[in-house]
Amino acid sequence: MKEKISYLRSSLNVNVIGAITVHMLIFGFVFLVIGNSICYNGIKREHGESTYRMANAASALVNGDYIELFLEGNNQLEYSRMKLDLDRCCKKTNVTLIYVIAVDTSDYGSFVSIVNSVNNTVDDTDYVEWPFGYKRNTTNEEYRQKYISIYEKGSAHEIIYRMNPEDGRKPHITAMVPIKDSSDKVVALLCMQRPASELVNMIMPYIFIILGCTLVLVVMSTIFVSIFLKKSIINPVNMVSREATRFATQNTKGEPLGKISRYKVFDDLSVSIDDMETELTEYIDNLTAVTAEKERMGAELDIARRIQTGMIPSVFPPFPDRKEFEIYASMTPAKVVGGDFYNFFFIDNNHLALVIADVSGKGVPAALFMMVTSILISEKTSSGGYSPAEVLSEINDSVCSRNKAGMFVTVWLGILEVSTGRIICANAGHEDPAVCRKNGEFELVRSKHGLVLGTIENIEYKNIEFTLNSGDKLFLFTDGIPEAKNGEGRRFRIDGMLSALNKYSDRTPQEIIEGVQSSVDEFAGDAPQFDDMTMLCFKMNGGVIAESLTTEASLNKLNEVKSLVNGVLDRLGCPKKTKKKIALSVEEVFVNIADYAYGDNSGTVGVDVEGSVKGITVTFKDSGTRYDPLEKEDPDLSLSAEERKIGGLGIYLVKRNMDDVAYSYIDGQNVLTLKMHFNT
Amino acid sequence: MKITQTRENDSLTIAVAGEIEAVNADELEQSVLGSLDGVNSLTLDLKDLEYIASAGLRVILQAKKAMGKDKSFKIINVQDDVMEIFEMVGFLDIINFG
Repeated sequence: MKEKISYLRSSLNVNVIGAITVHMLIFGFVFLVIGNSICYNGIKREHGESTYRMANAASALVNGDYIELFLEGNNQLEYSRMKLDLDRCCKKTNVTLIYVIAVDTSDYGSFVSIVNSVNNTVDDTDYVEWPFGYKRNTTNEEYRQKYISIYEKGSAHEIIYRMNPEDGRKPHITAMVPIKDSSDKVVALLCMQRPASELVNMIMPYIFIILGCTLVLVVMSTIFVSIFLKKSIINPVNMVSREATRFATQNTKGEPLGKISRYKVFDDLSVSIDDMETELTEYIDNLTAVTAEKERMGAELDIARRIQTGMIPSVFPPFPDRKEFEIYASMTPAKVVGGDFYNFFFIDNNHLALVIADVSGKGVPAALFMMVTSILISEKTSSGGYSPAEVLSEINDSVCSRNKAGMFVTVWLGILEVSTGRIICANAGHEDPAVCRKNGEFELVRSKHGLVLGTIENIEYKNIEFTLNSGDKLFLFTDGIPEAKNGEGRRFRIDGMLSALNKYSDRTPQEIIEGVQSSVDEFAGDAPQFDDMTMLCFKMNGGVIAESLTTEASLNKLNEVKSLVNGVLDRLGCPKKTKKKIALSVEEVFVNIADYAYGDNSGTVGVDVEGSVKGITVTFKDSGTRYDPLEKEDPDLSLSAEERKIGGLGIYLVKRNMDDVAYSYIDGQNVLTLKMHFNT
Repeated sequence: MKITQTRENDSLTIAVAGEIEAVNADELEQSVLGSLDGVNSLTLDLKDLEYIASAGLRVILQAKKAMGKDKSFKIINVQDDVMEIFEMVGFLDIINFG
């Protein structure tokens, strides 16, 4: 039921036709009321007029000159005749009352009845005839005013309409005319009261006819208007609406609407809808194709980003067994792919190359240029034997000759000698790095910059040299950091970067970079990042490398121990000859322990290796039989082959090869320490 | 370690390449001492030997003793690093480095 009401309320058809019907009904009613009122008043006035004329005619039956005589009780004969005439007149004219009264002209508050004719049959009334001389108060103020008008203002007649008398009488009209004497003086009033029920009886049929006609008219015009509206307006609107709704949900072209109404405006609308559908479906098809293309490009960009990030080292720590230094780097491209890059790689065991660069521009072109430059730099640098200045000079020439797009790249390239901390670097228009000395603060290492790569051929770059000592840190960055903008357009600046760096200067490289990144993010707020941000932080731990292991005192473990020591020596860049000597000594000591320390039992041996650029110390600890191999006599080398004993050369070789060999027995352990000095 | 033996009549040449360590010295010992029957001349060619530990020296001394005074035993083509070891342990006086 509710749905039905709500449907009816929302139906254009019902609403339009309903509104028209209601309007017509209102108009009909208003016309009815106005028409009725005009008609009723006209009839009423005409009724009053005719009553007045009848009263005027009746007044001819009364001789004004006799009135005074009548009042004095004289001339009875004349009075009787007049009474008779008036009674007859009352009956013939079909009025209820005719009466002649003399009003008390002092205040018009009362009157005296002279003659009174009553005809109760006309309107089924119950009036009682006033006897002659009957005195009565004026009925109300209206009557009083009318009396005054006639007596004093010379009015020829007055009419009182009492359509709803409040004294319970039936509706009636009273016309009053003056009775004058021969000197034209008003001496009495003749009043004629006529019933008004016939007037009401006359008006009712009129009202019913008009009402009926209006209703028929309304119904007919409603039907006509409904049919017309439905056919030429509502149906076309509904058709357009249905088609628009269908199209909105299905997005497919439907049957063309064609001609839907006799009115051009609706035909135009339907043609527009048809055209719109055609264009929209074409547009949707295009959009689908474009979106697919965009998705494909997005996927390709994603691959490009992965290739690019694959180019730069992103696993940290990158060299887990190199304890001489720590390194961390991050790159945050402004677009999906960026033009910044960093790189670090070993040229040989003791030389680490560090690169940071910023290609002009952003996005895919910058990324492509970056990849070319990055490959050229790492190829050239890792081939060894070239100083950073030489590398940059040569890369500049290669890049210039292939640079069709007019791009350029700023590069800082450094080659660090891990064993000493000495860095040789060259700068092609890049930001100066910041260095933090042990327990100090980050400061920029200013140097003269060479020209950016990729603009002019045959440029000479200059090598600059500085040393990172144990605990020192090096911070490389691209201009995306100092030039980061906040919402107010202010930049982070070098000062901001240095103070962020110094906030974290005692942390690890990773914490420093994360700290700077969060400071930049905090500074920039919601402002979009407009340049790539790349940072690399390197910390020199000093040349000391410490490694150790504990293993079974067994010959099978010899290689394990030798690899440990050789690994440290390789990292320190120990000369080959020295390395062999140390390896031999380590072998001899370990074999000795494996063979003798625990007799037939098994046991373990601990090996501690501590190396630096100055030398290495290897310490063996075992809990076997207490034995100082150094006490053993050296073999007699002057004996002939036949006299020689087989064996007993191992410890002698150790003593001869190592710079220092020491034995001690501590906490139940044999501790043998081998030392070798060298200079890498 | 790689051992190559070349026999011509009563002379045997053993080429040892790589490194002689404690762990592989036994192998060398068997290879050398087990091949000396009827050998009057033993030559160790150490052209490609890069490293020798005392276990290796022990095998060489055993070989020298096995050949005795009468038969010929010589070591040839010794690299500097290895020669330094031989020198250190006084082998230069007791072995012929042809």
